[in-house]
Amino acid sequence: MKTQVVLILALSIAFIDHGECVTNAGPVGGDEVVESLVFPASYKATSVTDGGTIVGVVKFEGDVPKVKKLEITKDVKVCGKTDKHDESIVIGEENALQNTIVYLMDISTGADFPQDAKKKYEIDQNGCQFTPHVTLLPVGQQLTMLNNDRIMHNIHIFSETNKAYNKAQPKSRRKMRLPKVKKAEGPVPIKCDVHGWMKGWLAHIPHPYFAVSNENGKYKIENIPAGTYKLAYWQEVCGTNNDAPLSVTVQAGGVVTQDLTLTLK
Amino acid sequence: MNINRQFILILLASFLMPSYGVISPAVAQGQKAPGASEVGKGLYEDKCAHCHGKEGAGDGSAAENLLPRPRDFTKGLYKIRSTENGQLPTDQDLFDIISNGMPGSSMPGWDGVLSTDERWQLVAHIKTFYEDFEDASPRLINLSGKVTYSEDSVAKGRELYKQLECNACHGEFGRGDGTSAPDLTDDWGFRTWPADLWQKWNFRGGAATEDIFKRFIGGIAGSPMPSFVSSFRVGLTDGESARMTELETKMDEDILSDSEQGEYEGIEEKLYAFEDIMLKVEEGEELASEEQAQLSTALKPILEKSWHIANYVKSLGPEVQPEPASGDKVLRSQYRLEALPGMNDEAWNEIEEASYFPLVGQVVIEPRQFNPSIDSVAAKSFYNDNEIVFLFGWHDRTKTLPQEDEETGETVEDAIAVQFPVKVPKGPMDAKPYFIWGDRRPVYLWHWNVAAPEKVTEMNAKGINQATVQASQTEMEVEGVYEDGQYQLWVKRSLVTGDKNDLKFEPGVFVPIAFSVWDGSNGDVKTKRAISTWYTFILDPVPSNKRFVYPPIVALISVGILFGLKGSVRRRGNANIT
Repeated sequence: MKTQVVLILALSIAFIDHGECVTNAGPVGGDEVVESLVFPASYKATSVTDGGTIVGVVKFEGDVPKVKKLEITKDVKVCGKTDKHDESIVIGEENALQNTIVYLMDISTGADFPQDAKKKYEIDQNGCQFTPHVTLLPVGQQLTMLNNDRIMHNIHIFSETNKAYNKAQPKSRRKMRLPKVKKAEGPVPIKCDVHGWMKGWLAHIPHPYFAVSNENGKYKIENIPAGTYKLAYWQEVCGTNNDAPLSVTVQAGGVVTQDLTLTLK
Repeated sequence: MNINRQFILILLASFLMPSYGVISPAVAQGQKAPGASEVGKGLYEDKCAHCHGKEGAGDGSAAENLLPRPRDFTKGLYKIRSTENGQLPTDQDLFDIISNGMPGSSMPGWDGVLSTDERWQLVAHIKTFYEDFEDASPRLINLSGKVTYSEDSVAKGRELYKQLECNACHGEFGRGDGTSAPDLTDDWGFRTWPADLWQKWNFRGGAATEDIFKRFIGGIAGSPMPSFVSSFRVGLTDGESARMTELETKMDEDILSDSEQGEYEGIEEKLYAFEDIMLKVEEGEELASEEQAQLSTALKPILEKSWHIANYVKSLGPEVQPEPASGDKVLRSQYRLEALPGMNDEAWNEIEEASYFPLVGQVVIEPRQFNPSIDSVAAKSFYNDNEIVFLFGWHDRTKTLPQEDEETGETVEDAIAVQFPVKVPKGPMDAKPYFIWGDRRPVYLWHWNVAAPEKVTEMNAKGINQATVQASQTEMEVEGVYEDGQYQLWVKRSLVTGDKNDLKFEPGVFVPIAFSVWDGSNGDVKTKRAISTWYTFILDPVPSNKRFVYPPIVALISVGILFGLKGSVRRRGNANIT
């Protein structure tokens, strides 16, 4: 009995990944290397029947860092209506870690993006922050920037593979669509220079097997063809596990649970 | 020639034409660089690599002390382009920057040092640092439809400047003092400043109206300056746009009726239809000829507005950098019979042009300022029989009251020191004190700092770090004000003070004058500051009334003598006739 318990414990610990967090202080686009997502060399979309699912919870382990309150230096009526906080590491109930991208690093065939003509990819500027903080945009889809603040913002996207983008979105443009990009990239910072604290992330993804953990740390990747894959993550402050992704095996129609625990060093 | 030949030639020609921009058929793209070669590489490593780095990453050995930094060519982000947002520069753009340099930065112009051929070789080599140059066909900004400079256009531009909230960064009156200005960084994380639109001689890409227009339409890549081409509601008439705004206000107040909602969506659809065409162009798609025509028409009013804005910017400040206050431009204090004007007195407008004193960074002694943020000081002056008054002005993007500098922990603050010699040199051959706060020939300083705006402290100095506050301070009237990106300092003192350590002001005497200016937000403190060399000012001597007295007397006497001579010659002549 004891051996069994020890064995089970040992196995479950093996399934929990311990990531290392390095605080990524510094200006956007500064000297520090911001790690990126890793994309397959090529990806072929086919029809997937009886796909499997990977679910899990991303958690933070260790001393919860003090959340910095952002200094609102202008347009206080709009931006300072509610307190704004640094969103680079958002930890919720039971140490749930939000805004972590979890994805399959090496999948080369799988489903196409869900064909939903009505699906709109939007980032809102509301209360002078980007919502959502981390956005996944399929390559070739159109992104719409909403300006519900009705004050001057500029959309400054620090792409390197794709064309650099910096356009003003004044109060007269409540919805502004962006040109579609051709190459997978990211996540790249998206920033408003007028309101220097506003920062978000945009990832141009080549396949649908990406997810972003929600406020409960939960993520779900669906419709996966049966097989064994490398599961990787990206978090703004904690970085990635690109050099040591997890191995996950998905059965047809099955559900695999893979929790992740990231720590701050 | 026959139709087929014509067709083929047109087809060929179309491959040679660069793709047209959001705006229209291409204008001449300028020359193309030759292929990259060892010649270009050699030139680059000799002339450019010290700043730009051997691999073009902007990391040369000299880069450390420069702000703005030398360009990192490996990112394909170029500030000064004739092309649209997100596009690479043309070869001609690169050639022009190499030839003319970038005013206000450390990038020199190589025209005159390198031949035309050599500069084209450099363009070719620089392109090798970013592979997308290989198949680039960048879209040009359409410069046709330029609106001639006029008061009317400037007024329209001023309105648009407000509407588009350019003041967020550039300030209410364009002096770069916007509320967003202090936090701006470039794409590499280095501090950057919004342009002071009055000091156009510091515009990196030049101050011609076309240059300003291109920055507005294309944005400045690698910096916070965005493209404003999408800021307008393209395709909507002014009426439709106004209606849209009206409906949006109702929407915000939740009083939009169903039919109004439908109306709004109709206008929005029209806007989207035009935006779709613009996006097609940005995505590199071909436009049908009908779409081209539609877009052309829709963009005309937008481009016109952009020219108005360019004309407004053009109207700010002098056309070219003023000449410094030496030679025939020395600062002349004007004589007045009456009391001297206060700070806001109309009388200051009698002096049309303020004298200009350019500043540089103090780099002789630590701590040094390699990147001063204050361009110059301007000055005007009046004097009467008893007193002299000065009005000094300088642009500073921020007002910095005493505070702790984040990097050094020192207390920094905005301040200025006006410097005179204690003893005026007797002539051009008589040596002046050392220009940075004197030497064994002492200087007399008026020191003003923003924490005490109603006071000027008299000091003397016999060397860079050897200034002492005078024991007895002369009573002076002082007023110092910061408003909309500029400081104005008004100082009045009696001509003669009786303190031998003070400068005595006397009419008709050329006096050296120099300045030190501290910008707290730039870390300026002690010797880390902007300074000027010695310039000159003079109390313009009053033309004496004696000029109406002596010349006529002399004239009368001379004429009298002439007549006398004439008379005596005649008499003598008569006497000789026999």
